Amino acid sequence: MTVRPPTLREKRRYVLVSAEPSGTIIERKDLYYAVCDAITSLWGDVTAALIMPAVIVSENGYIIIRCRRGTERELSLALATITSYRENPIALRIVAASGTINTLRERIQRLQTPDTEPVGPQEYIVGEKVFHVTYCSGQKVDLIEKGFKNTNRLFLTREDLEEL
Amino acid sequence: MKITDACIYPYPYGDSSVRRMALEARSLGFDRLVAAGISSGNFYGIDVLNGVLLRDITLKDLVNHVRDIRDKNAVVSVQAGDSGFNRAVTSVKGISIIRGIQSADRTAFDHVTARMAADNRVAVDIDLSPLISARGIIRQRAIHRYRDILVLERRFEFPITLSSHARSVLEMRAVREISGLCSLLGMDSPDVEKAFAGVDTITTPPDPAVRVL
Repeated sequence: MTVRPPTLREKRRYVLVSAEPSGTIIERKDLYYAVCDAITSLWGDVTAALIMPAVIVSENGYIIIRCRRGTERELSLALATITSYRENPIALRIVAASGTINTLRERIQRLQTPDTEPVGPQEYIVGEKVFHVTYCSGQKVDLIEKGFKNTNRLFLTREDLEEL
Repeated sequence: MKITDACIYPYPYGDSSVRRMALEARSLGFDRLVAAGISSGNFYGIDVLNGVLLRDITLKDLVNHVRDIRDKNAVVSVQAGDSGFNRAVTSVKGISIIRGIQSADRTAFDHVTARMAADNRVAVDIDLSPLISARGIIRQRAIHRYRDILVLERRFEFPITLSSHARSVLEMRAVREISGLCSLLGMDSPDVEKAFAGVDTITTPPDPAVRVL
């Protein structure tokens, strides 16, 4: 099928989303299935077909999702209902929407801040379990339980660490 | 008007400290939180109110518990029960919110209870967690119940509160997303604003019927 001229193509919008918790590795294909599942569950197959979602870019915790122009609201509401990814809890926070991918790439570069080193030790004992620092940015500090399986995360702040 | 999430569960009920949840709430657009088991305070510019949730309790014990609560700023809420229980709860002084109406019996909140809730300024909580994390029949049932509650709210004008029931920062949602989810229940922008300010309505004392000039 030949490519249509720009005036005949469908207008699309791109939504920039950040994935939490930090450090979550997002596979485009798996996220696409999660997004499609959320859209179909909330809006049904007909609206899902109208939205035509696609995961375009996934890098450094930021994701660009494509949809048809005018369906951004439906997509953003469906994204708010995604609570797990590969059986791990996740939150997708909408950062911006744009008509071009380039604008959102520039936005990603502006948003990326280097992790700051935590003050104090790297390991903490919370409720008889050993946790180590996995992420630290500004006031936010994430701890993850030591171990191989079923490791829990704790979401704290620097003030909380000082009180431990 | 302060935009309030009427129920969150910080550590030890959840995996996030109250400070971290306040930090997240600030970035998501909230001004105030009601947190279970936390003394009232201000964290990173967010007012946090002490939330007391009473559940699986008889009416007699409920009255005694409410009398024993010493924190005057505490927002006391009760898990919804059957119709008779809910009617009685709305007339107990000190009760601010009835929660879990979506999982109560279909006749648990009728027009009589709605009128009593409006007279006594007892709010009905809309828990958004079934809309966010549930799928299928559970979500459908919750939407149906909330739409039914909102019909009564428009008629009798009792306060409504919105809550995420988040046990983690990952379960918290932005004000814009919550507004969007409320639109699924048939709420328009003024309705959502009024619901976000529902905690203001129940925490501020009513204007006196007679004013001395």
